[in-house]
Amino acid sequence: MIVLKNIWFSYVDENYVLKNIDIEFNRGITIVLGPNGSGKTTLLKIASCIYKPMRGEVLIDNINYWSLNEEEKVKLRRRIVYVHENPILLRGSVLDNIIYGLIIRGYSKDDAIKKAYKISRELNITSLLSRKAKTLSMGERRLVTLARALVLDIDYLLLDEPIVHLHPSIRELIIDIIRDMKSEKVIVIATHDPLSTLKIASKVVLLDSGKIVNMGEPRNILDKYIVKY
Amino acid sequence: MYTEIYGIALRSLLISSTATLLALAWSIPFTVKLVSIRHESKEAIVGVFNALIGLPTVLVGLVLYSIFSCSGPLGFLELLYTPYIIIIGESILITPLLISLLYEIFNRAYNEYWELALTLGADKFQACKLIIREIISDVFVVSLIGFSRAIGELGVALIVGGNIKGYTRVFTTAIALEVEKGEFGTAIALGLLLFIVILSVILTARVIKRRV
Repeated sequence: MIVLKNIWFSYVDENYVLKNIDIEFNRGITIVLGPNGSGKTTLLKIASCIYKPMRGEVLIDNINYWSLNEEEKVKLRRRIVYVHENPILLRGSVLDNIIYGLIIRGYSKDDAIKKAYKISRELNITSLLSRKAKTLSMGERRLVTLARALVLDIDYLLLDEPIVHLHPSIRELIIDIIRDMKSEKVIVIATHDPLSTLKIASKVVLLDSGKIVNMGEPRNILDKYIVKY
Repeated sequence: MYTEIYGIALRSLLISSTATLLALAWSIPFTVKLVSIRHESKEAIVGVFNALIGLPTVLVGLVLYSIFSCSGPLGFLELLYTPYIIIIGESILITPLLISLLYEIFNRAYNEYWELALTLGADKFQACKLIIREIISDVFVVSLIGFSRAIGELGVALIVGGNIKGYTRVFTTAIALEVEKGEFGTAIALGLLLFIVILSVILTARVIKRRV
């Protein structure tokens, strides 16, 4: 469980992009909805312990992340993966990208490659493994970044706009993959387009101008969201 | 004749590459610090460096001359009319260019690769290693661009270097001198050689960029 308590965050000076956020992300899928600039990405980056809030606490399984020492932080962070909206790939092949997280966790190259092949088969991207990562299309990039996240043994998966601008077949594939993990992980998805992801959501959080304006069952929240936006 | 041209070429390469290394030595840590600042003034600082890219070389030469001449505050160092003062001058000249270009690279690296490394479970050392691996070729390309600006400048080398034969004479000052003497053949030969050096540097930078 990820708990954000009284979170305030600003990129520059006192211009807060998140104001007094209190929220719990539990097992299952939480959709964070909101218009562009509402603070969705920032919220996910704080929940995945990339950004330190100006005020407030980030609790991962009741442990206050920012009170830990560096070694403990790394250990805890290795249970969380945040996948960027714009897929960021490293130099080298797709395989190099997928095994990076395993290698830094101390896996041998052989074991890492075995795991990479396994996840690539599940995502149907084995044909991409030897290609240069930077030559991939947007849809392929998304799948590779997802594979790079899923190959790690994580408990928390935070996805920023994972299906935006994608071909419907890839969209469905990603939604199916996320749905399959629903019962075993805490999954948080930030999106401004709720229609595709709503059917798999357990909870919806509505964010506007850095504040939570509504939270609860998907059906109730969606009606209000569509009326407003 | 050929020995002199060879000496000029070698000296130019040595002075400009040392100036580039010196400028990188302060530009890299400064830019890293600049990227990490969370304040609105950051963009203004970057804007100043962008504007300083077009700094006239003669102006840098003039300022250095007034500082390092016998009556200047640092005159006691006796650096005027030595290769060292040309190195200092060229490194100052290319600093705004390096900082402006490095800022774009480091800013992107910080926003993308640093975050990515952390989210994939890297510790700070592993994240630094990843960033260096990802941007090293870009930094190399930037240093080549800085080098080509340094080797092609005239103002600093002429004003504070003094164009002393066999000591501070570099490509650009030698070309200016040969034109003044009416030795257009030698001036053109030197010009071509300088052009080949700069072209090779730019082509190398392009090849590196395309390969990665």
